[in-house]
Amino acid sequence: MTAMKPQAPSAPIADWVALDALHADPFPIYTRLRAEAPVAWVPAANRYLVTRYADVHTVDADQDTFSADESHSLMKRAMGHSMLRKDGPAHQRERKAAGVPLRPNQVKQRWTPIFRRNAEELINRLRPGGGAELVDEFAAPFAARNLAEIVGLPNASARDMRTWSQTMIDGTGNYANDPDVWARAERSYYEVDEALDEMIPHLRANPDGSMVSAMLHADDPLDIEEIRANVKMTIGGGLNEPRDVLGVAVHALLAEQRRRDRVMADQSLFASVFDESVRYVAPIGMYPRQTTREVELGGTLLPAGARLGVVVGSANRDERQFSDPDIFDINREKKPHVAFGGGAHYCLGAWAAKASVATVALPMLFDRLPHLRLDPDHPAQAAGWVFRGMTELPVVWDL
Amino acid sequence: MPKITYHHADGNQDVLDVPGGSTVMRSAVSNGVRGIVGECGGQAMCATCHVYVHTPYLDRLPEISEDEEEMLECAAAERDESRSRLGCRLTVGDELPEIEIDVPKAQV
Ligand code: FES
Repeated sequence: MTAMKPQAPSAPIADWVALDALHADPFPIYTRLRAEAPVAWVPAANRYLVTRYADVHTVDADQDTFSADESHSLMKRAMGHSMLRKDGPAHQRERKAAGVPLRPNQVKQRWTPIFRRNAEELINRLRPGGGAELVDEFAAPFAARNLAEIVGLPNASARDMRTWSQTMIDGTGNYANDPDVWARAERSYYEVDEALDEMIPHLRANPDGSMVSAMLHADDPLDIEEIRANVKMTIGGGLNEPRDVLGVAVHALLAEQRRRDRVMADQSLFASVFDESVRYVAPIGMYPRQTTREVELGGTLLPAGARLGVVVGSANRDERQFSDPDIFDINREKKPHVAFGGGAHYCLGAWAAKASVATVALPMLFDRLPHLRLDPDHPAQAAGWVFRGMTELPVVWDL
Repeated sequence: MPKITYHHADGNQDVLDVPGGSTVMRSAVSNGVRGIVGECGGQAMCATCHVYVHTPYLDRLPEISEDEEEMLECAAAERDESRSRLGCRLTVGDELPEIEIDVPKAQV
């Protein structure tokens, strides 16, 4: 036998990581994982968690080894097999068709005026009240209305969009196999199909700038199952991302007067607030990958077929990449983060999210709601790790 | 092997010999060349692979597509009307055995 190359050790087991602790505040856990076990088997999550920036980057850049097409994927069950769970040319083909409406020029010309109209309506309705829970009463309906129009489902209400998004996401995360969760997800699954069946004949005859239209009329058009799955994936991911960035950004501005004063004095800084918000709390904190072969990652050896959790929420706080990563700092040195993922699956909605939050919603909220501030009697709350954002953001303003 | 030279603002350079068919972006990212990010993996979606091409190579490059044009307008560092390109759109090989580019000051 020839001498074998010394192999990296297999991943350490982090059995001290508990799901409820991750849900409450994952960041101290991530700090410890990055230091002690940057690629670790975490029994509670039933995956290897990858927590350092460099390793996340490696995974994102190599879809041959780190496949998005996970076997037994709960997402495929909850939403169908969308491009988010495909690799290579199959993924590329669908992405090319669906991505047209989300490119920067379309976002600027077509969608930004619509974002503005939606924000205005919601704020006008809230203003006389003098206070609101901003996630439920602004961020979520704002994101939902915007998304319905981008996707091409103007027949869906903001309430429908929110229910669909949440129940299908819950299905995607239904590791406990709770039958009620599956029942709700399934109901949404068919409701989305129905809403699409209603719209598709119209969009087939009257192309517009929406995603469904783009998928129908692409040079290489998508078939109905592909359209259905991609619409569901977009409803699942496209709602909570802008909603949660918005919540985190507003909270960060209200929590520190000096930061707020600086941004009010130079409104171009809303863009930095957006970028720092997605770095600080990545709305999609973890996504799955599966190894296609035995591979060394971060000094440990992973077997073929290993299920990974790519923890961008941790990579974005990696002290090897960012100085004082746990501090929200809009002046930090500009460095790439991975809140939108990287590589082939780079978030299609990144430009739309940026425009809706940084160009439209943030400036308008601070402009129209005089002396906007955190409600002293009801503390703000954040939660989650796979998806993380503000869950309660009670605010008040002067009348 | 085709050759790519990356000039940095501080006067340093990285010179890479890369296999034919490699892009300026991918070669930089896989060899740790500073200042080129390639966040979207080369699909003209992020503009973090922006480079300034040295003039002698300009007429050997492919046309700027609509997608690339749109992205160059979104780049963090100022666009140069003739020299700005996306690194993920520049492929070295038989047609282009060698290229030199300047790395911009900012990509994000
Ligand atoms: S790598 Fe994103 S535009 Fe070139």
